[in-house]
Amino acid sequence: MATMTPKERVKKFLKREPVDTMPLFSGMGLVTVQAIEKMGIRFAQVHDSADYLAGSATLSSEIFGFDSVIVPYDMCTIPEAMGRGCTTYAQAEGILYPTVPTKWETLDQVEINADYMHQARMPAVEEAYRKLVAQNKFAVGAWVLGPFTLGGQVIELDLLLKGIKKNPEGVHGFMKKMTAVVIDVAKRYQSLGVDYLNIREMGSGTDLLSPRMWKQLIQPYLQEIFAALESPKILHICGGTDLIVELMNECGADGLSFDQKNNLAESRKKIGNDVLLMGNFDPYGTLCQMEAADVEPVIKGCMDAGVDAVWPGCDVWPEVKKENVEAWVATVRKYGAQPTPAVGRA
Amino acid sequence: MVQEDRRKEILDNLSQGVVEYEEDRVEKFSHAAVDEGMNAFDAIMNGLAAGMEIVGDLYDKQEYFVPEILMCADALYKGLDILKPHLDKVDKKDAKGQVVIGTVQGDVHDIGKNLIKMMFDVAGFTVHDLGRDVPLESFAEEQLRTDAEIVALSAMMTTTMMGMKKVIAMIKQKNPDVAIMLGGAPVTKDVAKLFGADGYAESAGNAVQEAIKMISQLRKIQGNGVN
Repeated sequence: MATMTPKERVKKFLKREPVDTMPLFSGMGLVTVQAIEKMGIRFAQVHDSADYLAGSATLSSEIFGFDSVIVPYDMCTIPEAMGRGCTTYAQAEGILYPTVPTKWETLDQVEINADYMHQARMPAVEEAYRKLVAQNKFAVGAWVLGPFTLGGQVIELDLLLKGIKKNPEGVHGFMKKMTAVVIDVAKRYQSLGVDYLNIREMGSGTDLLSPRMWKQLIQPYLQEIFAALESPKILHICGGTDLIVELMNECGADGLSFDQKNNLAESRKKIGNDVLLMGNFDPYGTLCQMEAADVEPVIKGCMDAGVDAVWPGCDVWPEVKKENVEAWVATVRKYGAQPTPAVGRA
Repeated sequence: MVQEDRRKEILDNLSQGVVEYEEDRVEKFSHAAVDEGMNAFDAIMNGLAAGMEIVGDLYDKQEYFVPEILMCADALYKGLDILKPHLDKVDKKDAKGQVVIGTVQGDVHDIGKNLIKMMFDVAGFTVHDLGRDVPLESFAEEQLRTDAEIVALSAMMTTTMMGMKKVIAMIKQKNPDVAIMLGGAPVTKDVAKLFGADGYAESAGNAVQEAIKMISQLRKIQGNGVN
């Protein structure tokens, strides 16, 4: 039986204090079309309005019984504030996430404007956090891309990937600039009173980088970021992560989040029981494609593998089947009273 | 005509130049191939493409990752740019056909697409590269304009993958015989099947493996003894 409020549950969980039941939350987008449609707006309209961001996040959690709200939904807010622009696909049919249309062509051209924090949609995102914090109902999550992934939004990724071998000084100089931005923005969001912060270094998995390169190029900057931030702070990486679990665990985060490619049971063995483990169902396959009756085994599988909270492996694709999300929630509520490796029960 | 020993030396250097991503070496031996009257198709398929096959093996063994593959691709293109203008008419006539390629609207990442494009370039296809963030209807329009036999679509994110389904429907409605290849991290065999595609590759590295398999097949068909 639930005895804690959603906010209380998530906050205690993230401190690894006993909770009444497993919290239902995420460090990535949780907005659904059910909420967007109920508000009478289109997805493309959501991104630059504090009211729509806060409203759609809140409504999604109210409809489905999530314990948290998290904004923004797209990865362009910081690149746009740096002058790289943003395409919202206002005329496109269905759901399309905004993208960054222009990138710096060389590493030498990268110059961060001093006032980026006040440009473009950054104020709207801040205002959305203020509204969500003020309503004091759900735990409020914030996220910032990691420096490599943020870098891939503002410069051609192959410049970075090839530059690691051909121009290591230039790439490290660039990574330092991105790291400073990530720290500034993340600290700013923490100062607004959010309850947890997720660093999403999603483009750095071993689909792209070798573990050796990850240790050289990614880990030092993530360590710098996590050293600069207050807890609770989480590290999420998509794609291939089995080979870098230990390296990720050395970055200083309170919890690690993986997508469906990760072998969670093995990861739990590698990181032990003192670190929060989140993951790792395929959000599109589980919530949009499969039959609702098939959702419970997927969610239960994550729990059996040793997660402390069942997280989707990435943003929830908004066009979810309502009954599938309900099955996710019901499964966590059904089995979540049991303690997990890193978190006991009250 | 070049002597067999010299031919092997040039091919080895082209192949190893690709594997070791030594653009200067590839450039030097591509020029040597041209200057010494070697068959350009032979140099491409049994030098450059053979090197890329080794790269595929190294990727399989997790010795190489995407940064290395990208640098190998640069070396390969260095040679391709020199050798392609010297292809015999008969080799050009053997071109395998035309392909329309691009990343779908909403996706600005194109590493996987560019690697697949490389495969088509090497294999002698005429490639119509629409770039990235391509409006869905442009794929169908370009296919109709060019009468391409293949349309290759890439999406790196789940959030853009859905556009592929619409493109496939548009193209198949007008021309059911067009082969459609999907690529990108979120694309699985099930998704490809569900969307009605004819083939798929789930990552940039996987795309290269798929590409190399196709090139290997082509090399077997053409025979290795071209001289």
